[in-house]
Amino acid sequence: MSNKYVEMGMRSPVNLTWEVTLACNLRCSHCLSSSGIAAHNELTTTEALDLVEQLHTAGVFQVNFGGGEPFIRPDFEEILAACHFHGIMTCISTNGTLITSDLVSRLASNRLVAIQVSLDGAKRETCDAVRGTGVFDAAIKAVKLLAATSIPTSINTVLTAQNASEIPAMHEMARSLGVSLRVSRFRPSGRGADNWESLRPSPAQLIAFSEWLAASGDVRTGDSFFSLTTQERQGLGLNLCGAAKLTCCVSPAGYMYPCAFLQSDRFEAGNLRTSSFQDIWDNSEIYASFRNLRIHSCEECQRFDQCHGGCPAVAWHLKNDINGGDPECLERCVTTIADNRLPMAA
Amino acid sequence: MAAAGIKLHPSCRARQERFGLLFYDCRGPRLLFAATGALLPADFFGTVRSRDEFPAGTSDSEKKALQKFVTQLLEKGFLREQ
Repeated sequence: MSNKYVEMGMRSPVNLTWEVTLACNLRCSHCLSSSGIAAHNELTTTEALDLVEQLHTAGVFQVNFGGGEPFIRPDFEEILAACHFHGIMTCISTNGTLITSDLVSRLASNRLVAIQVSLDGAKRETCDAVRGTGVFDAAIKAVKLLAATSIPTSINTVLTAQNASEIPAMHEMARSLGVSLRVSRFRPSGRGADNWESLRPSPAQLIAFSEWLAASGDVRTGDSFFSLTTQERQGLGLNLCGAAKLTCCVSPAGYMYPCAFLQSDRFEAGNLRTSSFQDIWDNSEIYASFRNLRIHSCEECQRFDQCHGGCPAVAWHLKNDINGGDPECLERCVTTIADNRLPMAA
Repeated sequence: MAAAGIKLHPSCRARQERFGLLFYDCRGPRLLFAATGALLPADFFGTVRSRDEFPAGTSDSEKKALQKFVTQLLEKGFLREQ
């Protein structure tokens, strides 16, 4: 990662997360957006298509669609088509339950789309405990439909205490289905905050995962796990938080945030109904504060060059301080375990 | 046999930034930051080019550097021969 160029400031995000709707037919216990019922003021089709035009003008390479469940939105394929018309690459994060063979056929006619199907365990009971009864089977069915096409498909798993031991099996399962595995970090936002204590991986699980990841170069992590990145994975992804530097988030109602895990008033950068995308990217004070963010308390850490203080969103949710460094970075996991092994003082 | 042309890989994009060109490969995704300044327009590799074809006005020393750069882009998969 060429940080010096990132620090010069990008003319627009490289990619962004666009939560096109808050509506979802599932109620996953770790959902970062507390999805369920559509927001009352979601962007209209006209507004969404106008945003696509703005993203094209800005030079955004890729839009990562999420939600909610994107396919619930009736005009979602129209929004996708507008992106593809402009050569914008798209990646859709879906729960898989609405994927049909007809939909897959339509999606497969375009080479600019990739799909991530969420699945949270190699075992049916592990996955369904988080996502709901019957979801494991529906998601597997969707993955099989997608794997039979040329659409780049991955299984996306949120690492939790419950599924940590199943990640290698999920890797094998993905291989056997002909798709890739992507593992995302569980963060305490949305319903994930409500269920944080029961779902959060332990320091020992995070360390074990980091070691496994080091030996599993074909597993993707998006921007999730740079706080755990080992030397072996240097060059495979980010070594710093990309929020407001390389990426950002657009909410269903057109609010812009640094990232999907910081969708609150405190981090609102602007709204697309009152400002242009480029204006918000260029002039938001919140974005400027993230671009200038330096985690000085981490600068003496031996791993600083590998994570630059880790995820500000986790620091915010757990410590109410984006300047404090990631409370669950690899170094702190190691320290926590070491501290717990120390004999009690007499 | 005619020399193969080169073109941006279909999974890749490029755009102009202050430092030069930013390449994006959605297969990773991967980024490549190229300090090319204003030597190459972002859409230069959007059409098939010969390996020694560069914009008019490019000096010999710049051509030499750009040829090396093109080789790197090919090795890293951002460009492909066709």
